[in-house]
Amino acid sequence: MLGAATKRSAPEDSKGEMADSRGVTATSTEPVTAVAGQPAKTIEARQVNLFYGDFQAVEGVSMTIEPNKVTALIGSSGCGKTTFLRSLNRMHELTPGARVEGGITLDGEDVYAPGVDPVAVRRLIGMVFQQPNPFPTMSIYDNVAAGLNLNAKKVSKAQKDAAVERSLRGAHLWDEVKDRLDKPGAGLSGGQQQRLCIARAIAVEPEVLLMDEPCSALDPVATLAIEDLIGELKNRYTIVIVTHNMQQAARASDVTAFFNIEGTGKPGHLVEVGPTQEIFTKPGKQETEDYVSGRFG
Amino acid sequence: MPEVARAEYLEELANLEASALGGLDLVNTALTRTLEAVEHQDVELAQLVVADDDRIDGRYLEVHQALITLLATQSPVATDLRLISSLLHVLKNIERMGDQCVNVCKVIPISGNEPPADEEMVGLILSMGRQTKTLIVQAKRAFEERDVEMAQDLVRQDDVVDNLNRDCFRLAIELGDDADKREWAMTMLLAARAIERIGDNAVDIGEQVAFVVTGLFREFEDASHPEG
Repeated sequence: MLGAATKRSAPEDSKGEMADSRGVTATSTEPVTAVAGQPAKTIEARQVNLFYGDFQAVEGVSMTIEPNKVTALIGSSGCGKTTFLRSLNRMHELTPGARVEGGITLDGEDVYAPGVDPVAVRRLIGMVFQQPNPFPTMSIYDNVAAGLNLNAKKVSKAQKDAAVERSLRGAHLWDEVKDRLDKPGAGLSGGQQQRLCIARAIAVEPEVLLMDEPCSALDPVATLAIEDLIGELKNRYTIVIVTHNMQQAARASDVTAFFNIEGTGKPGHLVEVGPTQEIFTKPGKQETEDYVSGRFG
Repeated sequence: MPEVARAEYLEELANLEASALGGLDLVNTALTRTLEAVEHQDVELAQLVVADDDRIDGRYLEVHQALITLLATQSPVATDLRLISSLLHVLKNIERMGDQCVNVCKVIPISGNEPPADEEMVGLILSMGRQTKTLIVQAKRAFEERDVEMAQDLVRQDDVVDNLNRDCFRLAIELGDDADKREWAMTMLLAARAIERIGDNAVDIGEQVAFVVTGLFREFEDASHPEG
């Protein structure tokens, strides 16, 4: 059940807005230990139109994002894939003048329904960004616990310790940082920082993880480590990843959605969505074929 | 920016396809010589075919390596990937077709300088060879033109070769009790069998045409389940 807006929602939302840009969302429930292989949630997008003021960035996107799968959104710059990603957890509307039309549901529940608290949506649908963005002055421990600290309920130290360890283990970072949890997160390497951000995102037990080019600032070794991690995380979460790296989409995703624009100033649209293996061996549309084969421009 | 993105890579891929399919021309020449050697019991010509098989093997190795390099450096996907995958198969088929010509040519000296040749049997083998050459040409054209229908028609053409092969077998049994004649007939059956396999390889190439076009691989004829 999506959290309904309460009196607190306005100030919390603005707090959430600041926190959201760091991939952390407030939570109103205690973390529940995730079980590997448990079903995650399905996102349905129906005729989604997205606007920045008068400019329509995305037109008529309908697709089902399946649980426990990695869905990659690919397409050239400006095709609307990141905008679409940000609409899934109501981050798009944080941009002044931004507007959403159409329907997006999480396991059948409309995330844009009146009375639904955007902060609750963002707790269920976490986000990891292109640039690793740990809170620079906070310790590694506090970075992971940040979302938990925003809890309305008091979380005990023991509960917090367990959640931090579980999240860092889940992000394949525990062994590297367990002896320096009190050191600043900014002292980690780029790849470690990104895994720290993933740990922070999963600490609040979301159902869905959105990742906006999570590896584009990382070296190949760190990139492969994140891709391995994504492959593991899908056992527990629904994952949507925006990537410019087509080989990454081919390697790391189960489903690929190709977005394109007909020309500058036109809205982006979904050209084709299908099993990744099909998109990269026998796509249904020539437009997709041209893009994945590098015959664009 | 060039008009077509990745123009150099696409040109390289097109050249490699032409080079791989050019291997079928080499096979065609080898088979023509093989048939001539069978017809005239020409041991020297047969030895030339054996020696010349290095050219077919060389083509296989050269194009195979270049395709692997493209896979490693260009990350081909979709149609390009299917094309490269199928060319790797086709190259292997071509290499095997060349080997079958060698197999035929190697049995020619065994049958002796003046073998007790049966004209009808030689005639059947030459017919098989001519029909197989048709298959080779058709397989190449079907691949070049990505023509699945033409590729599927190879099965019908290959049936002609298979029937001639069975005729060879029947004739060999009918050739009587003379030991020399029987020995000669046995070697000719080996030759017929080798030519029959060349026809099968041409059908295999046709199956790759269907894969490039449709993305699905299926055998045109399932030898294990002929009734299916």
